[in-house]
Amino acid sequence: MSLTLCSEALSGCSGCEMSLLNAGGPSLSLLAGFDILHMPILMDHKYFGVGGPTQQIDIPKAGVGLISGGLRNEQQLRIAEKMRRQCDIILAFGTCAAYGGIPAMMNLFEDEDLFRRYYRTAEGTDAAPDPLQVIPPFLERTFALDEKIGVDFVVPGCPPHPDSIASALESILEGKSPQLPLVSVCDSCPAKREGKGSVQRIRRFVKNARYQPDKPISEMRCLLDQGFLCMGPVTLAGCAGMNGGPPRCIEARVPCRGCHGPVRKGGNQIMDMLNALVSNGIDTKNLADRLSLLRFSGAHGRLNRRSV
Amino acid sequence: MSDIYPGFEPKILAFTCNWCAYAAADLAGTTRVQYPAGLRIIRVMCSAMVHPNLVIEAFERGADGVLLMGCHPGECHYQDGNQKAKARAVAIEEVLSLMGIERGRFRLAWCSSAEAEVFACLVRETDEALRAVGPSSRRKDASKYSKSELILCL
Repeated sequence: MSLTLCSEALSGCSGCEMSLLNAGGPSLSLLAGFDILHMPILMDHKYFGVGGPTQQIDIPKAGVGLISGGLRNEQQLRIAEKMRRQCDIILAFGTCAAYGGIPAMMNLFEDEDLFRRYYRTAEGTDAAPDPLQVIPPFLERTFALDEKIGVDFVVPGCPPHPDSIASALESILEGKSPQLPLVSVCDSCPAKREGKGSVQRIRRFVKNARYQPDKPISEMRCLLDQGFLCMGPVTLAGCAGMNGGPPRCIEARVPCRGCHGPVRKGGNQIMDMLNALVSNGIDTKNLADRLSLLRFSGAHGRLNRRSV
Repeated sequence: MSDIYPGFEPKILAFTCNWCAYAAADLAGTTRVQYPAGLRIIRVMCSAMVHPNLVIEAFERGADGVLLMGCHPGECHYQDGNQKAKARAVAIEEVLSLMGIERGRFRLAWCSSAEAEVFACLVRETDEALRAVGPSSRRKDASKYSKSELILCL
């Protein structure tokens, strides 16, 4: 059976598409199963607003719509709405589409701050006027896809592991719902835990963790136990793909950054993490980079311009 | 006090511990102490069992204010539950400020089972404070209420 596929990259970095291309072997069988009709990032298909000849956004009807990136401006919103109308199944592809991702950190600031910091004042580049003529009007903040259009399935990750993408697309081909893991990164992490209560203070990751490079991860002490801000407890598992290896950041001996979003749908990573820390008697006021706990999931109203 | 937001009745959710604050609310009822009708009470066994996500969810669903009430420090039925609640309140306040919920909409308070008047007073204070701040931006009908023109002129 063959399905048609449309894809769009909105407010993101196209890393998710890189990961899709990186799928290797499975991508060959996927190419046989999917007929790609529209994917501006890979093929040349002009449509209105992006240099096309017609007067409307010209996206063909398709079975599956793959959208990466969140919504930051009017153009992206229109494209997303059109995709929803033209595609039977919408897949929020990557963390930006699912939870806002890195671009949603902008939700802490005003557009005015952005123009002042990046255009009017020069740090390494020449100062330039506000780019109001060349970019579409901004929305009031960065939105995740499901805040504006209906989303059927989510494949989180920054970027998602090629295995997760391939397995999600394969299940859609087979007419099944893609399944996400139900557990946290900690559940899939082999690092040694030596129990709660020994950590008094959480440090920034400016000094390396203690480990022996020639020993496997299972011989390394849990990074949270070592006093680093590891987001494993509040982050959805699955970043290691299907081979059952340790979580990817942990494998590189650095703390989890939380890129797979909350474990439970609608969960709040910063609240869960701060709660876990304060409940164990750790003072979080001295945690310099605690805003980074929402580094990947700042949409859905989690991050807002500071109220007075 | 004249109405700053005419027609606005604050909805306040209170999580009260079974042993002190809920008993105080009960006593307030039996002794006919008056307090605002916009209060909704949820009885929990201890203030420490209120997960911060419950408070966040209340605000996300449009509560104007949330009160978390437990026993006085040192009088917790479970030894140190209220101390845990206090530690969590710090984290809750921080996350609320990121969400754009004004300071003062969430409040942690202590009252013993004999303090019906203290309970009522806390609710009245919260109600009055919320009337001054106005409806929460997450309330579905928030746009219905606007600052009275009289106040704007001042």
